[in-house]
Amino acid sequence: MSMATQLAWKSNSLLRFASKSISRSTSNGCIVAHYSRSFFCNNTNMTTITSMRPEFQLCCFTHSAASNIIGSKYLELTDEELMKQCVMDTFKASGPGGQHRNKRESAVRLKHIPTGIISQAVEDRSQHKNRASALRRLRTLLAVRVRNTLDLDAYSPPPELLQILPPKSTFRGSDCGPQIGPNNPKFILGMQALLDLVFAVEGSISDAAKFLGLSTGALSRLILSDDSLRMAVNELRTSKGLKPLK
Amino acid sequence: MKLSSSACSIARIPSLFASLCRPICSTSLSLSPSSLKPTTPLFLRPPTFSTSLSELNKWHHWAKNLASSVGSSFVHLDNGPDSTLLCRELRWLLEDSLEDHSLISQLGSQNYHMDVRLRASLDELYVLWRQRIEERRPFQYIVGCEHWRDLVLSVQEGVLIPRPETELIVDLVKDVVLDSRELKEGLWADLGTGSGAIAIGIGRILWSQGRVIATDLSPVAVAVATYNVLRYDLKDMIEVRKGSWFEPLKDVEGKLAGVVSNPPYIPSDDISRLQAEVGQHEPRLALDGGVSGMDDLLHLSNGAVSMLKPGGFFVFETNGEKQCQFLVDYMENNNPGKFCNVNIVSDFAGIQRFVTGFINDKCH
Repeated sequence: MSMATQLAWKSNSLLRFASKSISRSTSNGCIVAHYSRSFFCNNTNMTTITSMRPEFQLCCFTHSAASNIIGSKYLELTDEELMKQCVMDTFKASGPGGQHRNKRESAVRLKHIPTGIISQAVEDRSQHKNRASALRRLRTLLAVRVRNTLDLDAYSPPPELLQILPPKSTFRGSDCGPQIGPNNPKFILGMQALLDLVFAVEGSISDAAKFLGLSTGALSRLILSDDSLRMAVNELRTSKGLKPLK
Repeated sequence: MKLSSSACSIARIPSLFASLCRPICSTSLSLSPSSLKPTTPLFLRPPTFSTSLSELNKWHHWAKNLASSVGSSFVHLDNGPDSTLLCRELRWLLEDSLEDHSLISQLGSQNYHMDVRLRASLDELYVLWRQRIEERRPFQYIVGCEHWRDLVLSVQEGVLIPRPETELIVDLVKDVVLDSRELKEGLWADLGTGSGAIAIGIGRILWSQGRVIATDLSPVAVAVATYNVLRYDLKDMIEVRKGSWFEPLKDVEGKLAGVVSNPPYIPSDDISRLQAEVGQHEPRLALDGGVSGMDDLLHLSNGAVSMLKPGGFFVFETNGEKQCQFLVDYMENNNPGKFCNVNIVSDFAGIQRFVTGFINDKCH
């Protein structure tokens, strides 16, 4: 089965699972929330299944000005809040599971219901850790795929973006603190804001650099410092007929 | 007798565990658990062996070929692992064996004479991987540990390898202790603790006043669980007791804030059809739940009524939908009014896996 068909198939079974796992209570007991419910979102519009592949895709979701805040808000959610917007499942092959299986496939898939973005992790040795990795990956995917539209005439870089800029930036005040690198979880917020700008100027690094008070070279170096950022920018540039950054 | 069958499955394992096998085979239930010394997981052994990168490379190449030769034959045979999974395990075996993990990426490079420090001799690694593929010895017994939640637990023959599904029990407990000081500071019991996984998971979310008693009938399990509890520095919080289900808990009857268990639940007739890693290597004592698989679950649900205090919480893992439904009906019919908020919870694969609930505090 190709990856895409497999995903589509899994998504199907995922929805079936969601509809099936309604809580059951005894006749004398009051109903308590089904545990798994905390991973579901109340969005019922997800009737079509997209077989989105785990690679980066450009601009899947552009939020209009009205819902502008929502796009960046996903990344401001805590892990727990973000988890609540997701359905999680495992890659169960077949059979009854549990004690029946010696199960190394502790792999985990998260589907972010509001955007349909799927993130997965297979390489860790516990389900718990795979879940954490999948969540980290989901944040990166959200930053890369969810675009907020900008008004370039009134643009000034938001604080989360200023934080990831090198100290050279003329817009960077002393109140910004030290530069945040790709290993810091806060980098992703800045990365999303930076991609919003790069998309608004249609991939031109020199134009984007001007909005950030940086030289073109300094901004290129920043973009190249993180794999997901570099790939997202280069994919956009290729689509606009520009040369990829190296 | 169940214990003898679990000892037999250990006896089947050659070489490395021969020394371990002897005391277990000759043991009676009265044997003190302290006389069993658990094996140290590979990743915690000192890196006292060395070899050259080229020799390690040769081994890796051989091991990879052996894994690839499996293809999907085990999948067809008994729903066992395929080559992809085995290759992933091979990488984890390297991680646990090598002192310096960065060498993994250098395998196949030209730096052949470089010295490599190992936690097991190269000969042993050949033996171990052969056991993995040819005898279907579980990977977790090969490396002597299982990664479970954020824990790395020691496991060995005679102790059930904790399953990913069971990780959820700790989350279910976390959910209820969150809003109850009484549960957070209460006394919990993990029955049939095996490696001690659930007890340790719970021990780490309770407040410092909280306590967990972990019980198991198997002396190997008691020894391994004790080892794991010590490794996570929880000896003041978790006590491991030897005995069957509630038997070692007579002194705390009616005082428990919570009872959790992943008891044996596989119907006896299904045992022979299990994937080789499970059926031929894991202790039958921890798997076989009698003709319907429900023997121990029913015993536990009956015991919970008198052992838990009013408002006390329980989680039991089951074989799936059928057992969940049966257990819920059984609780309603056999002990009407005693339980409340009884609920079935699915695992992440969508299979109804757990029955949870409380002891009704009005009926006492």
